[in-house]
Amino acid sequence: MLLATREIARSKVRFGLLAGAVGLLVFLILFQQALFGGLVQGFIGAIENQDSPVLVYNEQARRNVEGSFLLPDQIEALGGVEGVEQVVRIGEATYTVEAGGELVDGVLFGYPLDAGGLGAPTSLTEGRLPEAPGEAVASSADAADGFDIGDTVRIAADGGPEIEVVGLAEDVRFSVAPTLFVDYSTFEDAQRAVNPNAQAVLPSIAAVRPTDGTDPGELTARIDDEVDGVEALTNADAVDSAPGVAAVNQSFQIILALAFGVVTLVVAFFFLILTVQKAKPLTLLRAVGAPSGYLIRNLVVQILFVMGAGIAIGIGMVFAVRPISTGGAIELDLEPSTVIPTIIGLTVLALVGSIGAIRRVLRIDPIRATVDTGSELA
Amino acid sequence: MPSPALQLTDVRKTYRSGDEEVVALDHATLEVGRDELVALVGPSGSGKTTLLSVAGALLGPTEGDVRVGDTEIGDLSEKERTAFRGKEIGFVFQAVNLVPFLTARENLLVVAEMNGNLDKGAKHRADQLLDELGLGHRTGNQPGELSGGERQRVAIGRALMNEPSLVLFDEPTSALDTELGEQVMELIGREMRSRGVGGIFVTHDTRMTHHADRTLEIIDGRLKA
Repeated sequence: MLLATREIARSKVRFGLLAGAVGLLVFLILFQQALFGGLVQGFIGAIENQDSPVLVYNEQARRNVEGSFLLPDQIEALGGVEGVEQVVRIGEATYTVEAGGELVDGVLFGYPLDAGGLGAPTSLTEGRLPEAPGEAVASSADAADGFDIGDTVRIAADGGPEIEVVGLAEDVRFSVAPTLFVDYSTFEDAQRAVNPNAQAVLPSIAAVRPTDGTDPGELTARIDDEVDGVEALTNADAVDSAPGVAAVNQSFQIILALAFGVVTLVVAFFFLILTVQKAKPLTLLRAVGAPSGYLIRNLVVQILFVMGAGIAIGIGMVFAVRPISTGGAIELDLEPSTVIPTIIGLTVLALVGSIGAIRRVLRIDPIRATVDTGSELA
Repeated sequence: MPSPALQLTDVRKTYRSGDEEVVALDHATLEVGRDELVALVGPSGSGKTTLLSVAGALLGPTEGDVRVGDTEIGDLSEKERTAFRGKEIGFVFQAVNLVPFLTARENLLVVAEMNGNLDKGAKHRADQLLDELGLGHRTGNQPGELSGGERQRVAIGRALMNEPSLVLFDEPTSALDTELGEQVMELIGREMRSRGVGGIFVTHDTRMTHHADRTLEIIDGRLKA
């Protein structure tokens, strides 16, 4: 790959500028993806990182946990659907809580501790899961704000329960607020404290575990058919279609599509211009017997080099700015499962975008070497 | 007896220009020996470059046979002609002769790389050729850092790099002054004869023909001895 490598080595500024431009665009894409990931985790991480293969909402709630409640006969009916192994009640509500000496918003997720983990957080990073009423796992992002292991959080209402944090879990915030996973009875206590006249405390949603061999997607359809007034969703669908998340997702996808398009065009134009500028030496090489494939391989090596350098720059920049977001309302969340497809996608698009340059190489007529009579011999 | 470097037998090359047929090469017959250097002279548009292009497998003939060494190239596909040029023919063109972002040495090595044999032997051969051409001290220089004569000498080295059966020179001294032109032509004659390689050089400058073993004239596509 003499042609590709030597040209890059002797045109460092030109290739460096392109790699830098690609790097900025890659940064923009990855930053947006990380921001979106952070937003999703902040809004609905408690659902995503909860042991709940299938979630059942009140049909009227339009997939909004805050607006959902289930009646006892609905919970009972869920247990009778074929393919359901276990059903547990999940209570969710936002309260004013006293934590770290301050009053802040806090979200409780109540689940029965004796249900074999169904409804419990799955991303425990420190401490342990609650084992008794009055204990909680808190979102690790809020540990420094009075939600660390050993801290006590109190529901700010007369008779509001005190909750001791015994564990921390990653990415389990809900509605961008500190979140506590507690025993279902603690949730009931909190609800009665803030609403003493309530006749009953109803669960917000239900978590369902399918029997072995039952597909969660098929089970949701069966639940919808057999239980009146509910809507069942797989965990992934519950996350993707949560109110707000779907709209934000759509907006981000449009912005990302534009950024992908810009990267493709920038790379395509650069290599097309470069190929046009190199028309004479390329014609010479074709005339002295260079196969088109040889020239195209060198072009592809240069494209891969530019994309590789650009991607490295972009990723480096994301990691450079990531610490700035730590502890903020929204933390940047960049996962390999997002980064790798993005890198592959950008590289493929850059290669596709360079078809113009490749076609130009294929169209070179070597006979032009005998008629291109420039005034210099280079 | 070894076959000649080049054999053209009754070769015609025609082009279409609108409804008309333009005859660029008219029943040309020519043989160039293994260590023979032939000068080809003629006015502009007489068919010199067309003859060189047909002999060098850049163009296929409309009629007739073209044989380089032991290979009949008239019927080769475009892809086969490209491969044949890379392995069997050396070219020195009038103007654009070198890749500007490669050094003198790399301009020779790229020939080996595109033929899939960039090895130690190729590197040794490139160094040896540049030494013989008096460019041992300029191997790391890019074309922009070389004089006109040096660049043309690098082009000669590039043309000889693949150990060709035939080398074709299209106006190799047209961009050089008389003294440099003489030096380059002397070098061409010496290198070709010492290697036993046949060659044709096209020139407008009749003062250069004494470097050839014989001179042919071409007028209106017809060869004259």
